[in-house]
Amino acid sequence: MNTVQGISGEPTRLPCETDSEVNPMTLEAALGQMLSGISLGMVWFLIAAGLSIIFGTLKVLNLAHGSIYMLGGFLCYHITSTLSPTPGVFWIALIVAPLLTATVGGFVEVLLLRRIYGQDMIYQYILTFGLILIIGEVCKLVWGVGYNTVAAPWPFQDAVSLFGLAFPRYNLFLIGMGILVFVGLRALIGATGLGGIIRAVTHNREVASALGINVPVVYTGVFMLGCWLAGLAGALMPPMSVVALGADLSVIIDCFIIVVIGGLGSLPGAFLGAIILGLTTAFGLYIIPKLAVAFGFILMIIVLIIRPWGLMGEPD
Amino acid sequence: MRNLVKTVTFLALGFALVAAMSVSPTTAIADKKPIKIGFIHSMSGAMSMYGISAEAGTKIAVKEVNGAGGVLGRELKLITRDDKLNAETGLREAKDLVLTEEVDFLMGTISSAVALAISDYAQKAKKIFVVNISQSSQITEEKWNPYVFRINTNAVPYWGYAPAIAAAKTWMPKKIISLGFDYECGKNSLAAFKEKYLQLAPDAKIIDELWAPLGTTDFTAHISKIANSGADALFLACIYGGGEIAFTKQAYAFGLYDKMKMIQPCAGDVETWSDVKQGDPYPKGALATCRYPFWAIDNPKSKAFVQEHKKMVGFWPSYGAMNAYVTIYALKNAIEKTNSVDPQKLIKALEGMELDTFIGKILLRAEDHQAMMPNWYGAIAFTPDLTFPHTVDVQMIGEEGYHTIEQIKKLRK
Amino acid sequence: MEEIKDKLELLRGRIPRAILFAIFCAFMIALPALIGKSWLNITVEMLIMALAACSLNLMLGYTGMVSFGPAGLYAVGAYTTGILLAKLGTGIVPAMIAAPIMAAIVGWGVGWICVRRTQVYFALLTLAFAQIIWTIIFEWYPVTGGDDGLVSIPTPDFFFSITNSYYFCLVLVASCIYAIWRIVNSPFGGTLQAIRENPGRVEFIGVNVKRYQLAAFVLSSLFLGVAGSLYCVFSGSAFPDYAHWTKSTDMLVICLLGGIYNFSGPIVGTAVYTILIKTISKHTMQWNLILGVIVVLLVLLMRNGVVGFLSQKLSRHR
Repeated sequence: MNTVQGISGEPTRLPCETDSEVNPMTLEAALGQMLSGISLGMVWFLIAAGLSIIFGTLKVLNLAHGSIYMLGGFLCYHITSTLSPTPGVFWIALIVAPLLTATVGGFVEVLLLRRIYGQDMIYQYILTFGLILIIGEVCKLVWGVGYNTVAAPWPFQDAVSLFGLAFPRYNLFLIGMGILVFVGLRALIGATGLGGIIRAVTHNREVASALGINVPVVYTGVFMLGCWLAGLAGALMPPMSVVALGADLSVIIDCFIIVVIGGLGSLPGAFLGAIILGLTTAFGLYIIPKLAVAFGFILMIIVLIIRPWGLMGEPD
Repeated sequence: MRNLVKTVTFLALGFALVAAMSVSPTTAIADKKPIKIGFIHSMSGAMSMYGISAEAGTKIAVKEVNGAGGVLGRELKLITRDDKLNAETGLREAKDLVLTEEVDFLMGTISSAVALAISDYAQKAKKIFVVNISQSSQITEEKWNPYVFRINTNAVPYWGYAPAIAAAKTWMPKKIISLGFDYECGKNSLAAFKEKYLQLAPDAKIIDELWAPLGTTDFTAHISKIANSGADALFLACIYGGGEIAFTKQAYAFGLYDKMKMIQPCAGDVETWSDVKQGDPYPKGALATCRYPFWAIDNPKSKAFVQEHKKMVGFWPSYGAMNAYVTIYALKNAIEKTNSVDPQKLIKALEGMELDTFIGKILLRAEDHQAMMPNWYGAIAFTPDLTFPHTVDVQMIGEEGYHTIEQIKKLRK
Repeated sequence: MEEIKDKLELLRGRIPRAILFAIFCAFMIALPALIGKSWLNITVEMLIMALAACSLNLMLGYTGMVSFGPAGLYAVGAYTTGILLAKLGTGIVPAMIAAPIMAAIVGWGVGWICVRRTQVYFALLTLAFAQIIWTIIFEWYPVTGGDDGLVSIPTPDFFFSITNSYYFCLVLVASCIYAIWRIVNSPFGGTLQAIRENPGRVEFIGVNVKRYQLAAFVLSSLFLGVAGSLYCVFSGSAFPDYAHWTKSTDMLVICLLGGIYNFSGPIVGTAVYTILIKTISKHTMQWNLILGVIVVLLVLLMRNGVVGFLSQKLSRHR
């Protein structure tokens, strides 16, 4: 409870729950809120997917995942602002930025991470923490300390009337992208030969190596894929958000919450976890707004008590 | 065990050597010694543009003063330290500035936690500390001590009373919904706004209060609830910087700026909006308070300051830069008036001083050491003068935006 | 006769060590007379951080448990003392005794949940709990002061003098570090190290590994609580960032820098880290970049830290 000094100088208490006098939730409003929740969740999934994939195969928890995401955002801003008058500049950025972040990921994996596989986990945490510092500072040196924006691309610039709300088309596009990425990754890993190789290496590194699979190359490839996904998410966000320093640290905690809820290494788990968190946040705002700051943690603790390895993870 | 002892001894000896070398002999000539100012701000990380801007404002003033012969024949020397937006680090730097560098004054900070920590230390170390950005009213009210001064607006007018007065004078909405960041600034901002607005518009109601964790950049769920709420105005409590830009983009896409009246204090902040151009989403028609609308201030010194700042760091000055500039001149005047740098004498000189600045004559109130910096308000629009959206038809709110002395006395009990 | 000869041999080996140790103790006791106030301030901070790092290393280096949570327990200690002193007006002694007790209790609760899992899950859980503690401190304004933190905490006049504060910290930190040393050199400590090497085997011989891990967690939390409490009294303030996971990574870097497999590693790491940061910050605002590069090089090239590296060099010359 907060006390605030009233006009007379006597302390008055701010009512903890203002008897909310907003319009009661109609079915239409509920559907609109649900759509918002799904949009929130899809955004989180897009960011967390790369982390989940990298952990699944390499067993590396990449603390610098948020930094790669932030780098993707800055690259998107850079490309769109340098090539500005060209039409379709955002789509170019959307293709190029993730490729650049994947390249960065490739260098990191080959030059740095390779030397610490099989070592104690502490080294991997501290190494990726060091990368957070380096990438963050490089972004600051190159792009400065201000806030940057990117315009939403045609044809996703205006809003669509849905459930009585003017719902922005770009959010619908993001929901679509989330689903596309999920389906695409599942198809890649589940149904292609390449996916088979990745699954083999994930399942048992030694045996895969014995069977002639070039495991180091697969590791590099998967890490690059994870960084590609982070860069993609980073490039998708600016039109509805902002490109600024500090995103690396704030995003990584949300990512961890989602992969823990979903189960580390499980992509469908991350998808499910993200949607659940999104919907909880959206409806939680109506029901218990005071706890908005704790939704993620509460959900995580509940999942960890009921099912410690996450919703779709495997017990170890 | 052998290694433990060996290495620790080795290190301890090396340490002592370094320490002994760092204890510098006291310099002799008192009258040629520069007046040292310790400047502590966020110079790295997410908030660094405020720190860099404030430092630029300070440097401009210091350069001018030194160019005109210094203060009492002594030159001003600025020592800058980074608090990393962290109270522990800020306190450590303050101690180092006072104990090692032997500064005469401390200035700075953007985070209120850092300001409170340094203010507490300044009292123990008996050095004057002037705040130029930190907003929490507690610094000059509940947690005040005689060594702290603030040449800056504070959260009460900027986030609370001024928007309330502005809203009452323009639209007088009856059903307001609020959205804020869930931390002290947000809570206090809403409290102050409610208190003042309900006093001016007794039949109005705050129909709901929404909160988002500090640092949120996705307000989709909040916006959809707001859009369906039936309110005729939205008040943003302490949503600033990157989060504010994200909010505006999303709210603009949801058509919120057309659907209801927006009371968005920070939309007037130049630092946040300077990269937004015509055609981008912006806080269309929102009522904003502004701490230094340099485009609306018709004073040649102000205009020169703006240009100098832009030349120095490449972006428009923030209010922090302007405050820092005023601070240096305030200190200069106080030192010249008392002919000394003794903190006790300077405190007496500063209390009640009328600062002669390029934004007008401003009283530095004796009871709380708060300078009555004005808050301006206006609606946000684009005009041909500037590339970014800014407040137009600005009006000024002066001393009436601040807590009165009686209110402060009651708070301090 | 033989026994006497053996005993004399042992004594002969120990005397040089004892002399060196005595010199070190004399140096630490005489320190206030040797260095300036500003450096004394820094030394006190280093002592407290060294204690925190040694506490963390009990879990990290000796038991092999990587935790992102030490900052949370440190903050619990700091805030317990801070709240008791500032809000409830208790005396300094109960306030400082309550801190490690509270930290141990919270550590027991958090640890019980976390040790159910291993490796990465354990680390993630500790990270989550550190953030939960941070969030509670950040939001619970009436009790913790929220994001403004607690300032001007009333401490006894004894602490106004930096020399007094220094001796107080020295005695307390030395006692605690000695206690930790006794713990790791006991049979209990031996079991912990065995668990670090191969938990499966230890479980197999009938030891309840989880119970030992939990014990390590709780002991570590207890000493972290002491460190936090000391810092609160020394600086007269407490802030939510004491619990932030990035402060935990600072502690991890310090341990790694000194060497996690040596008892003196964390202590040396604290000294090196503090001096490094101080030197870098003075010369450049790009300290993040330099620290990041140092950390990466540390992991790649000097995995056993400064003490580990020096040990290897010294042992070659024997």
